[in-house]
Amino acid sequence: MKYLFTLTISLLLSGQVLAGAMTEGEAMPMPASAQLCAGCHGQQGQGVDPIGPRLAGLSAEYIQQQIKLFQTGQRQNPTMGPMAMTVQGEAIEQVSKYFSAQDVADVSIHVRGEKVGYDDPTERLVYQGDWDRIIPACVTCHGPSGIGGGQFPRLAGQQANYLKAQLLAWQTGSRKGDIDGVMGNIAAKLTASEIDALSQYFATLK
Amino acid sequence: MNFLKKALVASAWLTVVFAALFSYVTLAQATELQDEQAELVSVPKEAAREYLQPRSLAAIPEGEFGDKVRLGYKIFVDTQGLTGNQVGNELNCSNCHMNAGQQANASPLWAAYFAYPAYRKKNDKVNTYEERLQGCFTYSMNGIAPAKGSPELVALSAYSYWLGMSGLMDKYQVAGAVPELSDEELVKGGKRADFPVPEAIQKALTVDQRAKLPGKGFPAIDKPKLAYSPQRGKTVYGAHCQSCHGDNGQGLEIAGVYSLPPLWGENSFNWGAGMHRVNTAAYFIYENMPFAKGFQLSNQEAWDVAAYINDHQRPQDPRFKGDVQGLKDRYHKHQGYYGEQVSATVLGVEKPKGN
Repeated sequence: MKYLFTLTISLLLSGQVLAGAMTEGEAMPMPASAQLCAGCHGQQGQGVDPIGPRLAGLSAEYIQQQIKLFQTGQRQNPTMGPMAMTVQGEAIEQVSKYFSAQDVADVSIHVRGEKVGYDDPTERLVYQGDWDRIIPACVTCHGPSGIGGGQFPRLAGQQANYLKAQLLAWQTGSRKGDIDGVMGNIAAKLTASEIDALSQYFATLK
Repeated sequence: MNFLKKALVASAWLTVVFAALFSYVTLAQATELQDEQAELVSVPKEAAREYLQPRSLAAIPEGEFGDKVRLGYKIFVDTQGLTGNQVGNELNCSNCHMNAGQQANASPLWAAYFAYPAYRKKNDKVNTYEERLQGCFTYSMNGIAPAKGSPELVALSAYSYWLGMSGLMDKYQVAGAVPELSDEELVKGGKRADFPVPEAIQKALTVDQRAKLPGKGFPAIDKPKLAYSPQRGKTVYGAHCQSCHGDNGQGLEIAGVYSLPPLWGENSFNWGAGMHRVNTAAYFIYENMPFAKGFQLSNQEAWDVAAYINDHQRPQDPRFKGDVQGLKDRYHKHQGYYGEQVSATVLGVEKPKGN
């Protein structure tokens, strides 16, 4: 109920911000189909913590795929499930491209090998993994500094709450859709404190 | 139709002539090439083996020797960071050697180091560890190998040695730092009677036992029930591999780094690399793929998809001197597709990149 209220307020606000943004001549005008999304994810997809994660910086391929996963129930979320159903046909590509094209704060790119021994166990997980438990480095798929690409979401700068909720969703199985369960398998091996630490790490990465 | 055929023949001849000219240019380099990257010795995996556990990289000591070990790690995980033409594709060593060369059954460096120098019957020659590393640069990395004794080969040798020796010392309860070795000693490898090894380890393992540490190479799997098939492999690829390696085997690049490597095409390993052998690729895939979730594919699927991946164009074999058939007869009498006709083209006719 509280969420519904927030959503309504956000929708009203977003209409006004949209009008402002349009007159300033945005590089890419927001498609009408994205207005509903902007209610929770922000006009520029910057995210509204805690109701909607940031979409800016995610690849269009990833956003499209996630909309479809929500529609088929492989990703489950009480708000996003019905919301995803409102985006159909060409609109899926339109909203994905729009939010994907929005600016995102730069992070300094840390390439593997720049550092050899990591004292911080969280950083070690991110850049080297823990192969005793067959946990590979996050950056192998999510890219240097977790900036994401292709089907792999950007982690750098994403909300900590959201990242944590996703790792837990992979663990419980309310989030699926990864080929051969690769991500589910990794998430299942992470401890609660590792999930907290990783979520904080990526959320605050500069 | 006739014209098309003539044009094809003409263009094939042109390719051969150009390639021949090209090969003269690189002859100086070609004559230095090792004649073959010897096939990895793969043995079936034994159940419940205990694998060597190298020390944490944070334990690499300060100082000149430690710096060499650290440089070796850096080169291994960021091989693309090397300048010049040492690397001629988009791969990093760590693409196939999981966990930066530390993972058992993914050709770990700690096992390889103690398997060299290795005598090869075929050419009656003893290959040192650095010569094997040069082979990796020439073939797997499609580059021009760093010279013997170069800082790169010393560093990669130092990293391999440190991983192996730290693991052996911990296993046989030898305290203290890993003994430092000179560059000359490091690059030879550890399969030598005169190789300096703490007494407790010497007592526990013979030189030959050290050369066959459990987890070495990629474990051999049974032959497939049906002859391997690229056609069936294509289906396996689409279902299990394509999402990471791309619809055309091109890999995934993020911020200039291909951490999900290209499997064929100009950015991948060339026709002399071990991984172009269908059996080697099948062993690797069965054990290590999908990423961090091996053993998802059946034996048959692993063979079929290994065949599919290697049934594509890739950079020319550096031993190529203008004659695909000649090279095929001389070096490719194994499970592979070099010189084979695939749809309208022959595999192995492509010009090398950057060489």
